[in-house]
Amino acid sequence: MKKYLRILSLSWQKGLVYRADIALWRFRQFLNSLMSLTVWNVIFAQGNDLFGYSKDQMITYIFIAAFLQGMILATSLHGLASRVYSGEISFLLLKPITLFSYFSTEEIADKIKNVFFVIIESLVLFFLFKPVLIFPEGGQLILFIIWTMGGVILNFIFSLLFGTLGFWSPETWGPKFLFFIFADFSAGKLFPLDIMPEIIQNMLFLTPFPYLSFMQTQMFLGKLDMTQTLHHSIVLLSWIGILSFINHLLWKKGLRSYQAAGQ
Amino acid sequence: MSSIPAVKVDHLKKHFKVYKKKPGFMGSIESLWHREYETVKAVDDISFDIEQGEIVGFIGQNGAGKTTTLKVLSGLLYQTSGSVSVLGYNPWKRQAAFQKQFSLVMGQKNQLWWDVPAMETFLLNQTIYEVPEKQFRNTLDALIEILDVKDIINIQVRKLSLGQRMKCELIASLLHNPKVLFLDEPTIGLDVVMQKSLRDFIRQYNKEFGATIILTSHYMDDVKELCERAIMIDRGAKVFDGQLSDLIDKYARNKILSLAFSKPVQKKLLEKYGIVKNWTGSTATMLVPRKEATKRAATMLTDLPIHDLNIEEIPLEAIIREVFGEENRLHL
Repeated sequence: MKKYLRILSLSWQKGLVYRADIALWRFRQFLNSLMSLTVWNVIFAQGNDLFGYSKDQMITYIFIAAFLQGMILATSLHGLASRVYSGEISFLLLKPITLFSYFSTEEIADKIKNVFFVIIESLVLFFLFKPVLIFPEGGQLILFIIWTMGGVILNFIFSLLFGTLGFWSPETWGPKFLFFIFADFSAGKLFPLDIMPEIIQNMLFLTPFPYLSFMQTQMFLGKLDMTQTLHHSIVLLSWIGILSFINHLLWKKGLRSYQAAGQ
Repeated sequence: MSSIPAVKVDHLKKHFKVYKKKPGFMGSIESLWHREYETVKAVDDISFDIEQGEIVGFIGQNGAGKTTTLKVLSGLLYQTSGSVSVLGYNPWKRQAAFQKQFSLVMGQKNQLWWDVPAMETFLLNQTIYEVPEKQFRNTLDALIEILDVKDIINIQVRKLSLGQRMKCELIASLLHNPKVLFLDEPTIGLDVVMQKSLRDFIRQYNKEFGATIILTSHYMDDVKELCERAIMIDRGAKVFDGQLSDLIDKYARNKILSLAFSKPVQKKLLEKYGIVKNWTGSTATMLVPRKEATKRAATMLTDLPIHDLNIEEIPLEAIIREVFGEENRLHL
């Protein structure tokens, strides 16, 4: 346990070295939420419900989406493929600690840091807009937390999957860029997915991406009944299982062809 | 009764498939639909055993396969064929019990966390290797004193010089008192004073812990001072394995005679005794056949006005250079 606490501590220390970088990164996230809140406040100025959302639901959606962005979609493993390709992971492979426990500890440190900032930013936004927020009941809240954990695991697996690209190619920016664009859109970061045409929604729900934020917001807003909750829980678990298996195979194959470059 | 070797390598092969790009823009276009690959035999069927407590020098040119071999022995690379065993373990399995007993130090790579002081990495390694507090403090104190780094371990790593970082790198790699140490170019980029202090330290570590050490280095002083045994690799194949002195016997056909004369001697006069490499009139350096060196020196002492004579072995660097020379001209 001590080693994980030490990695957590070091990750934070490392993260806090470049203060201007952190400040600008958080300011960008803050501006995103500020703009969304402003736009949706204007859209809902008439007071009518739109796209099946009341104003309070939409504002709550934006707050929750910002939280989930920091909790699920943000990751410390963006550069994993280049760490693999450049041979930087060699020193981890030499030590009596597994790669996955090391990376997951780094990831947890990053999540804690993100959530800390998101809470502060949300308090500022709350003070500025003084919105009425909707909070779920006990059972829903617990399921929301469990699904959020599921989303964190799902995105962690995605990050590891992208990391395996580094075993075979230095060029990882193209597929990653596509993934980010698609994930931002299909996770419901920009707007709720259920305001889109049904055919697109149906196509998106064939992918794991709505489980990277959107479904969690729906759970928080109490928009799912028991059957839907059960169905999406099974789908989320299945995606985690399938992608974990693929991830396991790719890392196993990748490590066999690893060249430990850099010498 | 023979002891179990600390390191056992049996017919090891490590081949890489590399993409062979045709030159020019058209080559890049063609590579979009057709790519040719070739197999590079980084290590090709080498075998050796290393006993516990031995320090062995791995010698070879760049790309000879030294580092690849060390990486296979460390469990970083999966061998194409053959088998390796370190302290009885298969390195590829990366068992914690094995990893706690060895260390790989790469002179050109950095395991230290860049943005925080080296001390933080030391503490992290203490927890990862589960080193008891007392042992950690004792080892750390000893290493800090030997390497003289007391004043720098609390400074951010990125602000340290190469030599200072290398010292901290060694400390980070040795805190768990490994029984087997793979040192890949540990003195690269260091000044001569620093190189010497690192060599002294490696020797001391070997004596104190009875550690088995494999060392690769481009600096022959490292190999000469530390290793009795050398393994020479060329293009992935082992070309020599034995005592350093035997390497010299095998490849150095000549010895060097350095002469100083009490009065000038003609170059032509000297040429009947051997190959004249340098001549000034009052001094000369010559190559004479090893087996006849003493005899010829005695004859020259009688025939010529010599006031100083010195017989030396060919420098190891020159031997290596010749062995790996393009035409392998062994006229040393």
